Amino acid sequence: MKATSEEVQTSVKKLFEDGSIGHFIGYETGSDSLHVTPCFLKSGQAASRLVWNPLCANNLSKYLLDFKNVEGKVGIMVKGCDSRSVVELLKENQIDRDKVFIVGVPCSGIVDREKLLEVLGISPGEVVAVEDDGDAFLVTIKGGTQRVDKEKVLRGECLVCKYPTPLVYDVLLGEAVSSLPWVGDDYSLIKEQEALSSEEKALHWNREFSQCIRCYACRNICPVCTCTECIFDKKAPRWISKANDVSENLVYHLVRAFHVAGRCIDCGECERACPMNIPLRSLNKKVEKDLLELFDYTAGIDVEQQPPLTTYQLGDLDEFL
Amino acid sequence: MSENIYLPRMATIQSMRPETIDVTTFRVTIDGSDGTGKFEYKSGQFAEVSVLGVGEAPISITSSPTRPEAIEFSIRRVGELTNALHELEPLDKIGIRGPFGNFFPLEEMEGQNLLIIGGGIGLAPLRSVILNVFDNRAKYGKIDIIYGARSPQDLVFTSEYKEWQAVDNTRLHLTVDRGDEEWKGNVGLVPTFLREINPSPENTISITCGPPIMIKFVIEALNELGFSSEHIITTLERRMKCGVGKCGRCNIGSKYVCLDGPVFTLKQLEEMPSD
Amino acid sequence: MVDQTKSRIIEKNRLTELLDKLAQDYHLIAPVRDNNVSFRRVESGSEVTLDYINTVLSPKNAFFPQTETLFRFSRDDSRGFRTEPGAEADREQVIFGIRPCDARSLRLMDMVFNGQYKDSYYLDRREKTTLIGLACFDPAETCFCPTFGIDPASGEDVDILLSDIGDRYLVEASTEKGAALLDRFAEFFAELRGDEEQLREARKAGLAGMKKLDVSAIADKMAPLYEGDYWDSIGMKCLGCGICTYLCPTCHCFDIADVSLDEGGERFRCWDSCMFPEFTLMASGENPRPNRKARVQQRFFHKFKYFHDRNGELACVGCGRCLRYCPVNIDITQIIEDVTSGKAGNE
Repeated sequence: MKATSEEVQTSVKKLFEDGSIGHFIGYETGSDSLHVTPCFLKSGQAASRLVWNPLCANNLSKYLLDFKNVEGKVGIMVKGCDSRSVVELLKENQIDRDKVFIVGVPCSGIVDREKLLEVLGISPGEVVAVEDDGDAFLVTIKGGTQRVDKEKVLRGECLVCKYPTPLVYDVLLGEAVSSLPWVGDDYSLIKEQEALSSEEKALHWNREFSQCIRCYACRNICPVCTCTECIFDKKAPRWISKANDVSENLVYHLVRAFHVAGRCIDCGECERACPMNIPLRSLNKKVEKDLLELFDYTAGIDVEQQPPLTTYQLGDLDEFL
Repeated sequence: MSENIYLPRMATIQSMRPETIDVTTFRVTIDGSDGTGKFEYKSGQFAEVSVLGVGEAPISITSSPTRPEAIEFSIRRVGELTNALHELEPLDKIGIRGPFGNFFPLEEMEGQNLLIIGGGIGLAPLRSVILNVFDNRAKYGKIDIIYGARSPQDLVFTSEYKEWQAVDNTRLHLTVDRGDEEWKGNVGLVPTFLREINPSPENTISITCGPPIMIKFVIEALNELGFSSEHIITTLERRMKCGVGKCGRCNIGSKYVCLDGPVFTLKQLEEMPSD
Repeated sequence: MVDQTKSRIIEKNRLTELLDKLAQDYHLIAPVRDNNVSFRRVESGSEVTLDYINTVLSPKNAFFPQTETLFRFSRDDSRGFRTEPGAEADREQVIFGIRPCDARSLRLMDMVFNGQYKDSYYLDRREKTTLIGLACFDPAETCFCPTFGIDPASGEDVDILLSDIGDRYLVEASTEKGAALLDRFAEFFAELRGDEEQLREARKAGLAGMKKLDVSAIADKMAPLYEGDYWDSIGMKCLGCGICTYLCPTCHCFDIADVSLDEGGERFRCWDSCMFPEFTLMASGENPRPNRKARVQQRFFHKFKYFHDRNGELACVGCGRCLRYCPVNIDITQIIEDVTSGKAGNE
């Protein structure tokens, strides 16, 4: 059975009552029925605000960095993908496992709002609720309920998700989901691009990055972008100009892609946050694929497994030398 | 196109006088068609100083408009621009925009005693007032200057103290946080020293500039000494870029430090949000 | 009421042709669909899309570009530099398809870039621009412009307003500049048929029920919220990215920096955001707004109090972009309601 909002509420309330946690980070209903928003609790009294539904896209794990210095444990709700960024944070000693209480929720896919509205041909105001129903979503619209195939309206990262059940947790709400039926080729997203020549690739990405407004939402939302001072914010030396220019934008995005290489767990938050709809996932996916092929490495699986690009061994590949 | 408010006027560094290990006083003239470009300002105002290719920063003017031969800026090496300025040499060119901001109400201060309290490089804007009132000495009453720095080596304008002390009815009180073998003067923090000197608030206006923490405790001491908040004047520092109230970063509440400041009375500050 | 003398119609199938013509004579800036719909410089009418509620980026870029050269400099023979101003404002431009909310935002921007010190770059472009607005009849669920006294079907802040009334657009000039443009391209426009007013009124039905909040006392109600913990949870949630400020049609903050090339370089300005920590970070290392809460607070105080204190207007036009695109769903309308209802002070 899938976990319900009520189960989450009851469970979090209990965690506060028995002193397991002093804070909780979860989701609550946002500005309308198609949005949730992060919710921060200091006691179980307001636990009834918490929700869990197929709109809970945000990866909340980055907020753990803000709770490093609080008294007591901080509880957090994580989906399968989110748990993998928690693994990365643990790996890098960004957070202390003993100070975090992880409430895991197996996830059978998150709705892509834009796709949903397009498929149904409705405006956001018409949606009352979205529920999970196996291989479809049940969308309650003013005047009825519609069943929409998940494959048509899932977020891109959910279409290739291999870890629907959290890999690290203290308590798991609902039944574990071992695999998702629609998940096929992980890298179909980048197949076309891989076939392009270097010139064509440059053309493609220059076009994409010319639209970047350098709001840094992709960086700020990224759960593995954890530097206290990002090199792009440094004043002296200044690594890139603040001028919005496609070559500067390109440097920003490529450096970022390399910096999260072997750490990116494809939660898709960068792409979801981008107001300009730049397909950032395909950049990260390519790096992910290279790391898998070169080092047989997948990020966010095992706390003990070190990322290949930040460790060194005598037997490492050195063809480039 | 109308006048470009972001275009600096070119100016020539005439001399660079080291004040401390990291503070230098730049004496500058504005390049004009006849070589003596006009630059009219009042004590307390600042200018945006440029090194082309590096950037621009707001710097308070430390000279007095009563001495119009040159403009002076005493600048501490703290960031990218001030570092670049220190690398320059006399006769090098810099850019100047301004003057910007408000100024000390010297006319309203006429007939009053002046209590001028500075800390560290904070003496720079105050020196403009000091020289200005010296040049109009008859208009003001008693002048007390209380100035402190971390160590004797950090005191600025030391070469001028003799001159200052020689001015009628004027006293210069120096203090350092930590003395050394040669230092014969007072050792102690400025607010403490101020309490010891115990100036009378009667018919006296106090103006102060220095590190934020010093200003905070100086204001506390002045309150204790009975100075009213209309008679405590200070200058504020914020990150500024445009200097003309557009770029939006130097506000404290509804006030832009670049337009409405940098000079504020304590009474005005009390009406502003606390950040 | 439709003013018969200044109003015309244009058949929908002639619009592309008109846009082609405009693009020949002016810098034409219009909504274009790429990864998203945004205002861009276009060369022909076929590039333009009219299938949008509002653009992701507001048209502020056309007056206050994200990056803009302020002046160039080059080393002269002595130890000095020669400076020359940045590009003169481009030739006359037309912005086609601006929504009434975004048009109002320009009136607010004018207050910033005008005043004691005049920003010639912005003001020049403003002067050389004709605004052709597009009335809104199908607002988004995030729209709340009536809150600020904006009528989404009105041409109050544009030179010409187009209203889609089915098979044709009603075209109304509300300024001399607008009337002159209609005259110049008179061949595209026809006399009214007489049912235009009625058709427009019918379309206005779509505007019923738009969110309209009472902000009459918001500036006063913000003041006591400076202290207190209302902003804690919003600051906690905020990612500190620049989406809300960069997409906002009224946000005008910028940074100034130099680029140095071999024998010269340029000084440029670029958008900056009060959401970024370095925005207020001083060379000394001190930061008067040291955390996300302080920065979020600044943003809303600027909109609903500080700007009002200085200019007598609120710095928001209810376009809803900040809400629509915020990755953590920070809801400006909820904040307005919390502040005006007094809920914000009682948490």
